[in-house]
Amino acid sequence: MKHWWLGLIVAAAAVLHLLVPWTPLAELNRTAPDSAWLLLTEIRLPRTLLALGYGAVLGMAGASLQALFANPLASPDITGSSSGAALGAVFASYWLGLTSPLLLAAAGASGALLALAIVVILAGRRSDPSVLLLAGLAVALASGAATSLLLALAPSPFAFYDSFDWLMGSFVDRSLPQVAVALIPAAACCILLGTRRRALDLLALGEDVAGSLGYDPRRLAIDVIVLCSIAVGACVSVCGAIGFVGLIAPYAARRLTRGHPGQAMIPAAMIGSILLLVADLAVRFGPAGRTIPVGVLTTVAGAPLFIWIVVTMRRRVTA
Amino acid sequence: MPASAFLAASAAARVASLNLCTDEYLLLLAQPGEVVSVSYLSQDPLESPLWRKARSHKGNRGSIEDVIGLKPTLVLTMGGGGRSTSLLARRLNLQTLDLAYATSLKDVEKNLRTVAAALGNVRRAEAWVAQIDALRRSSPHRASDAIWVSGSGESLAPGSIGAEWLRLAGMRQRSLPGGRVTLETLLTNPPSILVRSDYRSGQMSGGTRWLKHPIVRRAGAIQLVTDGRPWTCMGPLMVPEIERLRRMPR
Amino acid sequence: MTSLLEARGLSLHGRLLPTDLDLAPGQLVALVGPNGGGKTSLLRALAGVERTSGHVRVDGEDPEASGPGRRPYLTTFLPASRDLVWPISASDVIALGLPMPDPRRVSNLIDILELGPLAERRADQLSTGERARVLLARALAPKPKLLLLDEPLSNLDPYWMLRLLEILRQTTQQGTAALVALHDIDRVPVFDRAILMDGGSLAADLPPVEMLDSAALAYAFRIERSASGWAVRRSADPQSSP
Repeated sequence: MKHWWLGLIVAAAAVLHLLVPWTPLAELNRTAPDSAWLLLTEIRLPRTLLALGYGAVLGMAGASLQALFANPLASPDITGSSSGAALGAVFASYWLGLTSPLLLAAAGASGALLALAIVVILAGRRSDPSVLLLAGLAVALASGAATSLLLALAPSPFAFYDSFDWLMGSFVDRSLPQVAVALIPAAACCILLGTRRRALDLLALGEDVAGSLGYDPRRLAIDVIVLCSIAVGACVSVCGAIGFVGLIAPYAARRLTRGHPGQAMIPAAMIGSILLLVADLAVRFGPAGRTIPVGVLTTVAGAPLFIWIVVTMRRRVTA
Repeated sequence: MPASAFLAASAAARVASLNLCTDEYLLLLAQPGEVVSVSYLSQDPLESPLWRKARSHKGNRGSIEDVIGLKPTLVLTMGGGGRSTSLLARRLNLQTLDLAYATSLKDVEKNLRTVAAALGNVRRAEAWVAQIDALRRSSPHRASDAIWVSGSGESLAPGSIGAEWLRLAGMRQRSLPGGRVTLETLLTNPPSILVRSDYRSGQMSGGTRWLKHPIVRRAGAIQLVTDGRPWTCMGPLMVPEIERLRRMPR
Repeated sequence: MTSLLEARGLSLHGRLLPTDLDLAPGQLVALVGPNGGGKTSLLRALAGVERTSGHVRVDGEDPEASGPGRRPYLTTFLPASRDLVWPISASDVIALGLPMPDPRRVSNLIDILELGPLAERRADQLSTGERARVLLARALAPKPKLLLLDEPLSNLDPYWMLRLLEILRQTTQQGTAALVALHDIDRVPVFDRAILMDGGSLAADLPPVEMLDSAALAYAFRIERSASGWAVRRSADPQSSP
């Protein structure tokens, strides 16, 4: 595989994420090795797997959506699907009272799909890039507001304090069964998305050319939208919505693939994993007793890059 | 004890309570005709074991505005604070009695006697005080290492009133950093007894999801589930709950 | 004579009436007609991009039934749009036209279309004319049996207009059939055959010189031959001619 060295960085980041902070683990290993093992597998491992998997999903979904919409700024958060997923999961759990993690994942996927569908209906598939982004932002803002409202009015008075987790993401205290519910569907969808690499590369030549080479653009759009929604929805239902990774990872990946949007999908997945593992590692070194949601860090890091991309896009258009 | 409270007691008492915790004292000590209004929280089965009794009275949202029309002779509050309820009451010529949040069992007894006196008969409190005394005297000598836990790992501080109550059930609340128990602690150093509060356990929240984590479910040699509602106010309603905890098989 | 292209009953709802078309190997065919007459619709229907009914056979094979690995060797389509969003290099764009990597073929095309200095530059930053050559190279890359080109000569300077026609002629001499939509009818004489599309249907199918003199063309374009070339047609009678 071409960018195998990225895989090494992913592995290194994952190992670091799993073992740091090292001292409590080492001390426990001296006194009670069995407990140390349990700590590693039941508490740290779910967190690492989720950061790795969710990051990969965001990278791949971001790359696919950007290729599909021919828009370097498309991504799960900016097209509203992450927010839609959070809304779906919040509605299903806090209001409908569904507790099964699988049903919540399905609710998240439905929310993501609905949000993307609305954006496509509002903006059209190959519309002006700015129109798509405006529609996506509108849907994202509306979903975010609706999520906050549902949490504020939910039966449980504690729901409102959960807002941060849903709108800014968290990997804390998740269990292995939750990991399975998020990552098994996500992995399946990512594998299927990966098979559309060539089609999405050819889409760079235009819908007509892709159609003439045997890749029906409409079918491709439905495939990509559905697969991304399921993958993102499942992850959001467990970890909340995390932004900007789906924007930055594909951008960086396209540097490696010399601009090819479809080939960028797999490197984007790996870069997404690295970004999220590093972000989640960083939040653990915040001031004692304070929790920084991981989405805050990705936004703080990602927003400047977003602005930079917008500026370079403008320059290109006016050049 | 303000003299005004005695004056109010001499007439037929019409008492309104604006707070969940003062509701508890009022509903336990007053006769039905003496209660004019209780807060809507007491009427919620998820908040108070006395909800049935509470629903036979008018509910209020915790402000003087709601009860003024009922012409109470006395208004019970807890933590006048930013509301300036007492100030307002004085301007409206309403008697108020502000109870302090109980931070020890002694405080609970004191509150009981204060409310009883305000109702005109201090002796009404004695039955409850006697029950608390009985619990103290029959308190087990040996206390097991325990952790009380509710949503997201919230626990009790060792010197707190919650820990005092728990001790009466034969369990010693472990000292935890930040008053919170982490999954790591439950995994690596589980308590002999884990006492789980079931407060709003049927409703989805981040806290209840935490309680469903496999590590929490497996922690501790013994797991006891306690009705979370009395633990909000730590008042006299804790007595039957502690007795129940004592009777649970270990 | 066996047809390289055999199309029957091709239609596109609202834009193309059921049309039959045969092309022989090596034929360089001009496709002319007024705007909205059906040129692009015919090309798109032949390419399989959009079609309401009908079927297409290229050298006996159905391009739509062959997989993405075979189809480019049968037919390629070059649309009129020159847009490119992604920062892909010119040589990579050309390579996208090949189902299997073939660097020699890519550099061969770079030579033919004189793209040497531009090969590693981002295609989306080239001028329209330069981009046009890159995209044409992409269509030529797999040496398809049937070339479908929509307005390949627009935005080109005179050198490249003539050069491209030379390249197309060389390509057809190797057996490829090419159907080329044009709006500059003065280029038509270079072709072997001319087809006129008007009102969504095939209005005329003639050798190029006859096509230029035909009443059908004069009627469709509402122009007529004049001493200096062409003039707006004033006469209402379609039969009148200078």
